[in-house]
Amino acid sequence: MQNPYIPMPVEVVNIVTEVDTNDIKTFRFAFVNKEDEERFQYLPGQFAELSILGKGESPIGIASSPTQKGYIEFTVQRVANLSGGIVTAALHDLEVGARMGVRGPLGNSWPIEYLEGKNVVVVGGGFAFTTLRSLIHYMLKEENRSRFGDINVIYGARTPGLLCYKEELAAWEKRKDIRMHVTVDKRDETWTGREGFVPTVCREIAPSAENSVAVICGPPVMIRFTLPVFFELGFSKENIYTSLEMRMKCGIGKCGRCNVGEKYVCKDGPVFSLAELDTLTREY
Amino acid sequence: MIGSKGSLNADHCEKEKVVFKKITLEKLGDLVSALKEKGPLYAPVRDGKAVNFQKITKTADVTLDFYNTVFSPKFVFFPQTEDLIRYTLQKEGAQAEPVPIAASPSVILGVRPCDAKSFEIMDRHFLGAGIIDPYWKNRRDNTVVIGYAFDPAAPPDPADFYNTVGIHAADTEGSDVFMVRKDGELLLKGITKKGESLLKGLAVLDAASAQDEAFFDETIRKDRGVKTRFTEITDTAIAAKLVGSFEKQEIWEEMTASCIGCGTCTFVCPTCYCFDINDETLFRKGARKRFWDACMFTDFTLEASGHNPRPRIFQRYRQKVCHKYSYHVTKYGCISCVGCGRCTRSCPVNIDIFSIVEKVANL
Amino acid sequence: MTNIKQIEENLKREAKRLLESKEVSVVLAYARGYDEHHPLPYAARTAGEVGNLIFNEYCTYNLARYLTKYPPKTKIAIAVKAADSRAVVQLIQEEKVKKEDLVILGIPFIGMKDPKTGEEIDQKTTCHMANPVLYDILLGEEIRDAGAGSPYDVLAELEAMDQAARWSFWEKEFSKCIRCFACRKACPMCYCDPCFMDASRPRWADKSPTADGNLMYHLTRFYHLAGRCIDCGECSRACPMDIPLHLFHKKMAKECETMFGQAAGMKIDDKPVMVNYGNQDSDEMLK
Repeated sequence: MQNPYIPMPVEVVNIVTEVDTNDIKTFRFAFVNKEDEERFQYLPGQFAELSILGKGESPIGIASSPTQKGYIEFTVQRVANLSGGIVTAALHDLEVGARMGVRGPLGNSWPIEYLEGKNVVVVGGGFAFTTLRSLIHYMLKEENRSRFGDINVIYGARTPGLLCYKEELAAWEKRKDIRMHVTVDKRDETWTGREGFVPTVCREIAPSAENSVAVICGPPVMIRFTLPVFFELGFSKENIYTSLEMRMKCGIGKCGRCNVGEKYVCKDGPVFSLAELDTLTREY
Repeated sequence: MIGSKGSLNADHCEKEKVVFKKITLEKLGDLVSALKEKGPLYAPVRDGKAVNFQKITKTADVTLDFYNTVFSPKFVFFPQTEDLIRYTLQKEGAQAEPVPIAASPSVILGVRPCDAKSFEIMDRHFLGAGIIDPYWKNRRDNTVVIGYAFDPAAPPDPADFYNTVGIHAADTEGSDVFMVRKDGELLLKGITKKGESLLKGLAVLDAASAQDEAFFDETIRKDRGVKTRFTEITDTAIAAKLVGSFEKQEIWEEMTASCIGCGTCTFVCPTCYCFDINDETLFRKGARKRFWDACMFTDFTLEASGHNPRPRIFQRYRQKVCHKYSYHVTKYGCISCVGCGRCTRSCPVNIDIFSIVEKVANL
Repeated sequence: MTNIKQIEENLKREAKRLLESKEVSVVLAYARGYDEHHPLPYAARTAGEVGNLIFNEYCTYNLARYLTKYPPKTKIAIAVKAADSRAVVQLIQEEKVKKEDLVILGIPFIGMKDPKTGEEIDQKTTCHMANPVLYDILLGEEIRDAGAGSPYDVLAELEAMDQAARWSFWEKEFSKCIRCFACRKACPMCYCDPCFMDASRPRWADKSPTADGNLMYHLTRFYHLAGRCIDCGECSRACPMDIPLHLFHKKMAKECETMFGQAAGMKIDDKPVMVNYGNQDSDEMLK
């Protein structure tokens, strides 16, 4: 029996500093053992526990797409305060070539099957864009693209320097099979794109609710102001999906801390439709 | 009722091939020695004022003169602390070895019926849903549980309420062997195949008579008359009631106003399974450990961002009650409480989960 | 000594008056728990709730631990026995509560019993005093013949041990600790938020109950409480592992009293002994 508490060894093969504040980096890992790579079958929206012995584990959404073979990526913000952030701080100190552990994939995914045949509106804010990036890569993959309808992406950050995956955003802008709406709360001299908060941009773009699903991930305040816009546009709660964050440890629904009502976010989530969330307690 | 979904231990033996033994209490030491030879033995030991299950090193330590232990025997399967990985930190990375899941066949002697039942409830979480917990499974598979009927002549402790969750003072469910005390003797009956083969292999035991068997059955019958605190609840009704009263903050605040937010109730509880995983290092040597945690602690749900979904005591207490009486019912089909009364007895300020459940049931 | 039933009646009468007159918005006292021998700490907020109040020998809890949980300026009446009143005084000294916000209902009584064991506690775990040191209303007659003996008598056995024996005594006791934090949570003087034990950066002690971590936790807590422990014994009674924590606290209190001539929580005008410097202070520890 595979012990679900023991991480698989990985090597850091690439590190990209995403933002001008230097506290968000994307780490690319290659599995040390081939069989682990085969075992790590995942879908966009899932997460994994990143493990550094002596520091601990931290649950992080998978930023790469299963269509990208040979590696997995995680975009990690360094949080450091009294109550936590030990692992993310240690991670940020790593260099290419370092070895560490990954335990996963964990949790459910964005509702890929449900999205098939529908238009997808992807809404992301700041660094929470990571698993949405995975989803976009997945949907844009040649053999997958025809399975989905129109793809609209609304992605915002506070400043241009805080946008993640800048090169990919630029590449996607050039494509015809995806419509990108990248915005910043406050522009600077380098920025020629859109300025405005994510909810406002959503209202301006006004994606049709017809045969559409919205997939939203971002800071709580963004979600709070974005949801009413989608309700106004006629999106039902069954057609709005989001991903929850909770303090997690085991990642497999055993350690008992990440429950929202009867659901464990690590196992039954982290992805929920608003309709599902309505049936749960409001403790998150 | 907890039993309504049936036991996960399906190997209850058939009536005609009953293995039924006895031994005089004077020879308890011989029985203990014989059990100890089979592997680690856990049994009740008196230490100061308290009786608790311990791994037996000295035969004479074992006592069967106790009402119930302060701590539940869950630690046999789920120790308070265990190492998952041991490592040495080096400049070029960590040298690490997963700790093998050691599971030599062991025996727990003297488990009260409510506690025996608790193991089956925990099975549903650790074994019955999603990923199987290898630590719990290995120890569970390799352990024989010798249950021990409450004395039908002794009044139950005022904190107990196992009747409320459908358990009686001599229920054999959850035990592999069940033990009844008859004056100066112990009667032992095989309940599962595992239990039967243990009994068959114990030369120290005598065969029991038909009279003994009648006494055994009579004790079980009498023990149904042992009345603990009781309130009429059904699993699904109380589960729904709790969901319905979740938002009634004032009531929850009032019911839990005296709670001081320690973790005692969860640590003594036979069905609390929440744990933490943490790396602990000293001079470059360390271990990734898992160890009991408590939903009553402030930092249980505190996120690295500083956000805490349950910052207040009433929220954490409500979580505890809802987990046991609502979420567990929805998820696993039974209440996750056996009414053993430990949390109430050990609470530094006498908060009583039964009173709270009763109150919610009658809202 | 006033009959305990009479004390209960007096408590109810005063509580009712204070709530009706709106002099206070809450009365901290006791109510019946799941049975008579297991009372609950209880906060009455209306005159109607006063009927729930009780007082009997099992009302051991030091209610002062709840004082710091109320927002500032809440007008609170609190029922206190001798040691509990010292906690209130100490909290006033430490400026965690203000005297003007409190109505202290003093209970002079000897013979409290541990709800878990039924044993009398006054000679063993508490400060062995009969009368509250500070009160606005006394709910019974002052006790004049409290009996001989010092709160430190129970230390005799420990003090007779040599250093090695004492060390092994405490090592054994701390090894039992399961980190339920009942001692910390029951303590009226443990109001730090967050407690050093809950910090993860830096982490001062292992989170799991290891021998080293337990030592770190308890010794640090003892030192945090040096000169502040008011000897109510709540820590030991709260402990599910029966660790006699009060003995360590008592020893520290005794040392403190010997060195600085001041016991914790005795006088409202005292400065907390560890933040106060006097020329006459002992410099024993510097030698």
